[in-house]
Amino acid sequence: MPPRVNPEKCDGCNAQEEPLCEQVCPGDLMTLNESGKAVCRENSDCWDCMSCTKICPVGAIETRMPYQLGYHGAKLIPMVGTNTITWTSIDINKKVERFRFKTRID
Amino acid sequence: MGLNPPKIGLIVSDPGDILSGIIDLQALKKKCEKIRGVEHCVLLTDFKSESFLIAAQKPLAEKQIDRLIWIGRFTVKQKCTLEKKLEKSGLNPYLNEWSDLTSQSFGKQEASEEARFKKALTLIKMAVARAKLLEPLETEEVPNSESAVVIGAGISGLHAASALIERGKQVHLVEKESGVGGKVGLLSRFFPLQCNPQCGIEYALKSLRTSEKLTVHTLSKPTSVEGTAGNFSVSINTRPHYVDSNLCNGCGKCADVCPIEIPLWENVIQDEPPFQNEMGIGTMLKETQKAIHLPTPYPFPETYLIERDKCPADCKKCLEVCPVEAINLDEQIDLKQNLDAGALLVTSGWDAYPLSKLRDYYGYGLLPNIIGNLEMEQLLLQMTKRSDIQLQAIDSGPLAVGFVQCAGSRNKDHLSYCSSVCCSATIKQIKQLKSLHPGAKCTVFYQDMRCFGFDEDLYQELKSESDVLFVRGFPRVNESDLIDGKMNLTVEDTFSGLPVNTEIDLLVLAGGMQPSSGGLEFAELSGLPLNKHRFFTGHYQCYPEESQRTGILTAGCARGPMNVSQSIESSGKAAIKALNFLESTTSIAPTYPVVNEAKCDQCKRCIEDCPYDCYRQNEKGFPVPDLKKCRQCGNCMGVCPVSAISMNHFTIKQLANQIEILENSFLRHEEPTVLAFLCENDAYVAACSAIDQGLDVPINVIQIKVPCAGAVNNALIADALSLGIDGVLIAGCKDEQCHYVRGFDLVQKRSGDLGDKLGTMMIEPERVRSEGIEIHESDRYVSLLNEYIEKLTKLGPNPFKI
Amino acid sequence: MTLKIPENLENISTEIIETDLLIIGGGNAGCFSAIEAKKLNPDLKVTIMEKAHISRSGACSAGMDAINTYIPEGKTPEDLVRWCRSQVGGGPLREDLVLSCAEELNESVDDLEQWGLPILRDDDDNPRYRGKWDISIHGEALKPIMAEKAIEVGAEVYNRIVGSALLMSGDQCIGAMGFGVRNGKFYIFKAKATIVATGGACGLYKSYTSDSTDSHHQTWMCPFNVGTGYAMGIKAGAEFTSMEQRWVATRSKDFCGPIDTISVGYKSNIINAKGEKILEERYAHLGGDQAPRYIRANAPMEEWLEGRGPTYADTTHLSDEEVKDLKVDYLNERPSYVLFLAARGQDITKEPIEIYGSDPYIVGGHTGSGYWVEMDRMTTIKGLFAAGETAGGNPNKFVGGCAAEGKLATRGAMKYMDALELPETDMEQVELEKKRIFEPLFKGTDFDGVKPREMEERLQRLMDEYAGGSSQFYRTNEERLNYCLKHLKKLKNDVQYLQAGNLHDLMLAHEVIDRLDVAEIVCHHLSHRKETRWQGWQTRSDYPETNPEFDCFVESRLNTETNEIETFTRPYEQIIQGDRYKE
Repeated sequence: MPPRVNPEKCDGCNAQEEPLCEQVCPGDLMTLNESGKAVCRENSDCWDCMSCTKICPVGAIETRMPYQLGYHGAKLIPMVGTNTITWTSIDINKKVERFRFKTRID
Repeated sequence: MGLNPPKIGLIVSDPGDILSGIIDLQALKKKCEKIRGVEHCVLLTDFKSESFLIAAQKPLAEKQIDRLIWIGRFTVKQKCTLEKKLEKSGLNPYLNEWSDLTSQSFGKQEASEEARFKKALTLIKMAVARAKLLEPLETEEVPNSESAVVIGAGISGLHAASALIERGKQVHLVEKESGVGGKVGLLSRFFPLQCNPQCGIEYALKSLRTSEKLTVHTLSKPTSVEGTAGNFSVSINTRPHYVDSNLCNGCGKCADVCPIEIPLWENVIQDEPPFQNEMGIGTMLKETQKAIHLPTPYPFPETYLIERDKCPADCKKCLEVCPVEAINLDEQIDLKQNLDAGALLVTSGWDAYPLSKLRDYYGYGLLPNIIGNLEMEQLLLQMTKRSDIQLQAIDSGPLAVGFVQCAGSRNKDHLSYCSSVCCSATIKQIKQLKSLHPGAKCTVFYQDMRCFGFDEDLYQELKSESDVLFVRGFPRVNESDLIDGKMNLTVEDTFSGLPVNTEIDLLVLAGGMQPSSGGLEFAELSGLPLNKHRFFTGHYQCYPEESQRTGILTAGCARGPMNVSQSIESSGKAAIKALNFLESTTSIAPTYPVVNEAKCDQCKRCIEDCPYDCYRQNEKGFPVPDLKKCRQCGNCMGVCPVSAISMNHFTIKQLANQIEILENSFLRHEEPTVLAFLCENDAYVAACSAIDQGLDVPINVIQIKVPCAGAVNNALIADALSLGIDGVLIAGCKDEQCHYVRGFDLVQKRSGDLGDKLGTMMIEPERVRSEGIEIHESDRYVSLLNEYIEKLTKLGPNPFKI
Repeated sequence: MTLKIPENLENISTEIIETDLLIIGGGNAGCFSAIEAKKLNPDLKVTIMEKAHISRSGACSAGMDAINTYIPEGKTPEDLVRWCRSQVGGGPLREDLVLSCAEELNESVDDLEQWGLPILRDDDDNPRYRGKWDISIHGEALKPIMAEKAIEVGAEVYNRIVGSALLMSGDQCIGAMGFGVRNGKFYIFKAKATIVATGGACGLYKSYTSDSTDSHHQTWMCPFNVGTGYAMGIKAGAEFTSMEQRWVATRSKDFCGPIDTISVGYKSNIINAKGEKILEERYAHLGGDQAPRYIRANAPMEEWLEGRGPTYADTTHLSDEEVKDLKVDYLNERPSYVLFLAARGQDITKEPIEIYGSDPYIVGGHTGSGYWVEMDRMTTIKGLFAAGETAGGNPNKFVGGCAAEGKLATRGAMKYMDALELPETDMEQVELEKKRIFEPLFKGTDFDGVKPREMEERLQRLMDEYAGGSSQFYRTNEERLNYCLKHLKKLKNDVQYLQAGNLHDLMLAHEVIDRLDVAEIVCHHLSHRKETRWQGWQTRSDYPETNPEFDCFVESRLNTETNEIETFTRPYEQIIQGDRYKE
């Protein structure tokens, strides 16, 4: 489940000690490469929890399905609000599905 | 929440029946009474101030309510008065929510009654959502230090220090030279009155000489600045004077016996030494000082000091002759001290632009009779003081002096800006020269004569004199131009198109002012932002003495070229502003940002993006805002990727809950709703003005006022879109005029990233839009909204809309 | 961030942290332990040692779509025990532990709702039950909610610290040791009482899609939980229970995501290629659709084995709204399953969800495997308490039960530590552990060694083929188990050749070392239970029937003198009356 980082968008969180994706990954898989861009150390170790994808403030990360499991071109994009999240699923036939729900209540 | 649910009282005031002309107020009241949390709702019929008070006090006293929402238009004065009076009845002022429905648009006649009613109800529900989360808050008083540090004891620094001392504050004056006065101390005359600068310096020193509250640190430089407004800690480094200032009585016997003479021009010419021959400037400026001397440029403080590196080995002549044993010739180390201060004033002045850079143009350093305007001042001063210093023509004719204006200024290869004083300075120098050396012929080579304001009188006066010639064109000076000691210059006069030939004995280059080396050093160690010309920048036109660091003020030429009067005036303003931080305490409004450490993951974005550098990390690594520096713009709240920062009284949760109300649109499904975040400095004013002017602001827009566009967090935009709002508009200050330096830039980038993400989600990125709106652009605001709504209508409803 | 690797052991700095209560693992149980401790005594020093970052670590990283046990109105904790018992084929299980958890259960879930967790409710404001006991939630933010609460109440969290061993003083646990995977430091946590809550063990067995480029971690369970908590106890001689009761469940094929409770909740019957409703047809005698979980897990595998695959959860009857709800459920727990469906262009009303079994895991929150604990949740090691998936004897805890058990463990720990004086640290033990931890880093560049990934893959295939993995349809026998144990010993011997080039690899090295310890006792347990009690979870092809002699717990313990694993049994005690096989 490789998280793909768009190097144009990624700013390495301004080369902080740890970019946000590195901070949050439960598997210690995200890190910065020599160019200061985020990269996944080992794609095959990802569990696709999508924490990195959700937290990236510039939207540079996309989670993909490995080819073993699914065909090319599908997308699942989270957009995180303060207490809501929306998900947009685009399948290989370009069919779009949208979901929205609250993640916290008071 | 939970144990003590909030109990809201709703008071609707509609004098002039503006609201009731738009919606059925009685029906609205009925609906409001049903809103969860609203315990009391009243429609006022009497609009005397006592009626407002009674309407609020009664349910408060009966404990029916614990907070109020005021629906209606109130002036700021009315709000303050009511809040104060109710405070006496026990209601914390921050538990009042003011919601003026008439500042939102209800459309003109075309809008349906149903839509208007629903919108009014929506707005009230939003006010309720916000009111539910209000907390009582108290102003905080933070103690201050009552002393100030002034960096640079030139004319600005002296006047600033004087102003503060007169107000009873302690002042530390930190000066890198041996004495006060700065560049003014080197001048011969001021314009336009042709008066003596020493007199101006003396005027400032009147209160300073005898004050116990002043400490002057000469041969000193700051090495670090820590702390914050009200509590700065400045470390300074003082080089040894070798003379004890407590003992020295200024008798000067030491100077009498000192064998070393140092030319005074070394103070003036801070550039490559010019050509030394019989006409060399070094020989013209004859004044010297001994290695042991009184402070320069102006002899204050009044004790001697020694240029120890100039002393011959083993010479002890001064020591032997000093009657009070004030001299210590032993090797000494620099003195390091820490100064506490409530405010810092940066009056670090200017340096002359190094004219050696014009060697190829004007031959400075190439030919001996070419000097700069500051050297000309010294020359005129020394000519005034000593009759043995005279200017001589090379041949038997009259003395011919040329002045080249804009030397190294208004030039992209040198200083690109105009130093504003050089033309008036040249005129002044010509006047003085003619009085010292009657018969001198002066030629001014110029591009534009900029004698501003009343200085124009002086210019016109000289123009009418026959021995002063103004030629519009610049000479190019080569070595070959020197013939028998005189310079032979040919210039094309751009008015006549004809060449003008002049023979010049002395050429004065009117060079410009650049930021002083001391100022640049201080910028580096303090982190104070500079503008593109590397002068201290305040960002605001209307409060130029403020820097981007609260509590640090700038004045005089440290901020940009200006004449002496302007410098003195600006130092006065800076001193007044500094007083805010020198009172015993500073009041902090409680609406400051708070970091939720449970959510914060220490990404440091708030630290990086705060325009005022307020944040520091505590021992655990969490960001903490310095409340004194903080200007409460909300940019930290906007930038936090995990929504961990909220402003008191304007929290992310309040905004999120307000936005949630918009899930159920008050319009028909196909009519777009727009949520507009408007910055209170410009865009919001334009929007309110649009309504007041009766412009047809579309009903589709719900306006939320924010302190700065940069306070809008992407998560809130995501919330809005996910709830089905068709478009989100973020409006800030236009054209790099953001009141908080870069708030609007930050939110534009962020919301742009969100727009890109929308694109990948097959949602039109145009649904998030940022616009700069100026305070008067009400018309533009309306047409912008109309265009936006038209576009959104074409795009169709937001796919997330129910 | 690339960290400079320390060049030798002397360059590694040591940090010593003293605390009252140490919690190893900042997950579901761990956070609740911390919150309970601070509630009971706000001045208590509580420290959480967390391998990743507490906001999104462990099994709850992506969220949770349901809380699988919440006692509805009209039912009692005893009813829950009965159901729990029936779900594990009548036991054996520790009914005392299950009952104590059940009594705390609802309150823990209510706490979560108080802190902001959205529990779906119907129009009468009652929780929406998806099944008998499971309620639907939107738990995408479950982990941050719990983590924030723990931090808010004042627990000190040390993120990115990999636990490696318990700190012992004689037979008493006085804390734990570990290393910083980001900063390369050695950590010693000294505590009056320690709660181990590191979740379960994943990656003992090979996941069947793990033979290719990008899907090594295609597991139902969080692959970053490797059983370190178990391993720490094993090495110190703690007693473990029911490790043969491996957790296998029906999963979506290839993706290996949750489907079981969803299929129940959305009434999607398990069908085979012919469309036959398998459970009704072949397992009616065991309860049909109500059959225990291991039956449901094994059923599709048996169909495949007998040539009637593929198998499905029949979603073809779902309405559009139900499909949406189902996908929202997934988005709250394993969001990439929605991407999986999108990547196949699959419309589940036309093509039902294909199902299969998963690789076996050891999770004490689902089955009863884990530390043997007393009612106060103290393990057989004095001063060490266990909670959540790490603690055994108490199956079907799920989110609510792990939370409840966290609280119970804290109460036990606090009583224990009352008036306790911490003894001196045995520096020899500490130095040895430090050396052991960092050894793989210092082998030098010419060292001819073994990479952690190589050993991990070897282990996983070994267990899969010989200890009843999915390729064997969970079957094993005496001979295969002996073979497995023999090769596990070889692997353990090869640990000395493990080589790591950076701190991340060092973590991987220790993950495989810990898995070896857990795998070893799993094999011992499987070997000792000479019967088949829970087909799928524990299938002995040489003993296919249930044997009443084994109506008891199988236990294991490392004999620290002989260094051999000993297995034995403990009797089962029925506390709640009634038919053990019925709810």
